[in-house]
Amino acid sequence: MKENGYSRLEMMAIAGARMIRNGEVVLVGTGLPLVSTLLAKHTHAPDSIVVMEAGLYDSNPQSLPFCVADARGVCGTPWVGTAFNLMGQFLQKGMVDTGFLGGAQVDRYGNLNSTCIGDYSRPTKRFEGSGGACDIAVMAGRTIIIMAHEKKRFVEKVDFLTSPGWKVHRYPDGEPVFRDEIGMGGGPYAVVSTLGVMKFDESSREMHVDSFYEGLGVTPEEIVNNTGFEIGVREAKPLASPTEEELRVLRTIVDPEGIFMKY
Amino acid sequence: MASQAKRLSLEEAVGLIKNGDQVWTGGWTVVRRPMGLVYEMIRQGKRNLYICANPGGVEIDLLIGAGCVYLGETNYIGHEVFGHPYCFRRATENQQEPGYIHDDWTVQTGALRIVAGSMGLPFLPTMSLKGSDIALPQNDSLKELRGKDPKLPRQKLISIKDPFWEGGDVFLVPALRPDVCLIHVQEVGEKGTVRILGGAFLDYFAALASKLVIVSAERIVPEETLLERPELNAIPGFTVDVTVELPYGAHPTALYGEYDNDPWWFRDYLAASRERESFQRWLSEWVLGVQGHTGYIEKLGNRRLELIRTSPEFGYNPSIRRRTDKLEDVA
Repeated sequence: MKENGYSRLEMMAIAGARMIRNGEVVLVGTGLPLVSTLLAKHTHAPDSIVVMEAGLYDSNPQSLPFCVADARGVCGTPWVGTAFNLMGQFLQKGMVDTGFLGGAQVDRYGNLNSTCIGDYSRPTKRFEGSGGACDIAVMAGRTIIIMAHEKKRFVEKVDFLTSPGWKVHRYPDGEPVFRDEIGMGGGPYAVVSTLGVMKFDESSREMHVDSFYEGLGVTPEEIVNNTGFEIGVREAKPLASPTEEELRVLRTIVDPEGIFMKY
Repeated sequence: MASQAKRLSLEEAVGLIKNGDQVWTGGWTVVRRPMGLVYEMIRQGKRNLYICANPGGVEIDLLIGAGCVYLGETNYIGHEVFGHPYCFRRATENQQEPGYIHDDWTVQTGALRIVAGSMGLPFLPTMSLKGSDIALPQNDSLKELRGKDPKLPRQKLISIKDPFWEGGDVFLVPALRPDVCLIHVQEVGEKGTVRILGGAFLDYFAALASKLVIVSAERIVPEETLLERPELNAIPGFTVDVTVELPYGAHPTALYGEYDNDPWWFRDYLAASRERESFQRWLSEWVLGVQGHTGYIEKLGNRRLELIRTSPEFGYNPSIRRRTDKLEDVA
């Protein structure tokens, strides 16, 4: 899987890390979001405050937490709360700048599905469920989405809209409306994938290719061919390859066991 | 609510749980779950349970696989990066094993529902769920049961205009009022004071919200020893009805300062739970076929328990390797 000395998975984690701004409060989910955020914290964003939905605040783990409740996240934490504090207070009160999420399916508006494939009442494939993803997508200042780039994942229409993006399902009739029409703030900022980084048009709110991993041989055409909806490439530019420092920190400090990077 | 918790054996304590009860399981996904209590529920053949963990983990997958559950309200059921919840999947996908109904929530709304229960409130408002299919009436899996099953709220949720401030839309979500709350912790006092280290999650709220609270612990200790650092005590004793001394009662989930996740257990369980037949064999071997909790711990063996022991400095085991595909077998 390694081309040019690093993998697409590593490039994705690094591209995600670069989106974290130093000093912001980041609410992270388990898996790649955690890897990217910790990489950011160990490189350009040491003052970012990492919070996890199970109740951890300003987590500075010495070893990669397995999940958002792992004792590895508790170690070195100045304060431990509960999901009520983190999600019912910090997040709901608008104290979270960035939410960092994964998902099984995403559509052109950044709507995410982590619930099921097929009809909800009788799914053909069932996933673990929202966890806190829906809450984060509704209430964080902005959300960053990170997921593998495949046609079956980047779809015209998500089978179940777990976590709202830009064009959402209105209660109670499910009609599609833009999120500001129903009084929602926030919204998806970017989708980081195994091929590149996608952003959203300011007026149409549709996804377009912002950058691609040229160093790994990715082209805008490859992204188009692996996306299940029409996606603009007019603004696509090459993304800088990983620095030696980014790779060193990722491999030796953040995920040395390869739990998420699968070495 | 008991003025003083009663100390019972594992079998006696679980004997108090009735078929059809609404049961909350404490902890978080693969951390500090009441596994010893759950194994015993399976041994006693509990049926028609209504589970409401927030989030659910391996304990819910097991209960569903063992046929103990008819209804679940959670935001998640899974084993984190260890792998997928195959029993839950078989119970929901393609009608492979019908008999289980699932309704989805989120971490925040589930938290608010148990907090409402702990406050004696019928509901709480939330800003979450807007724009999500989780909120839509058409996706309410329980609508056929509402108004018939007295344990269920009459509606999943409603939307109201904020009557006090800016007038935006907010959802009201109903309280959770479990019959039984199951929690496993490091230490509980003889009178029921609960000490939790390394993240209490929602267990305090669940204990207040539930009618019968059963706490299993690595150690039952004299209350005096818990007076020294009262800020470490997470739940006051008068909410606790029953205590059970149960060393390794959270295994294979992690218990801060005691033992880490058991990656060998997860590897074997995930392989076995992929198919119904191999899951049933696993259940016979590890749950039904052992002599209670003591038999289970003996079967695990000292070597395994030694390998997952945590370091006092970290609260976890810094040398444990967590990639189940690269695990070396324990002799």
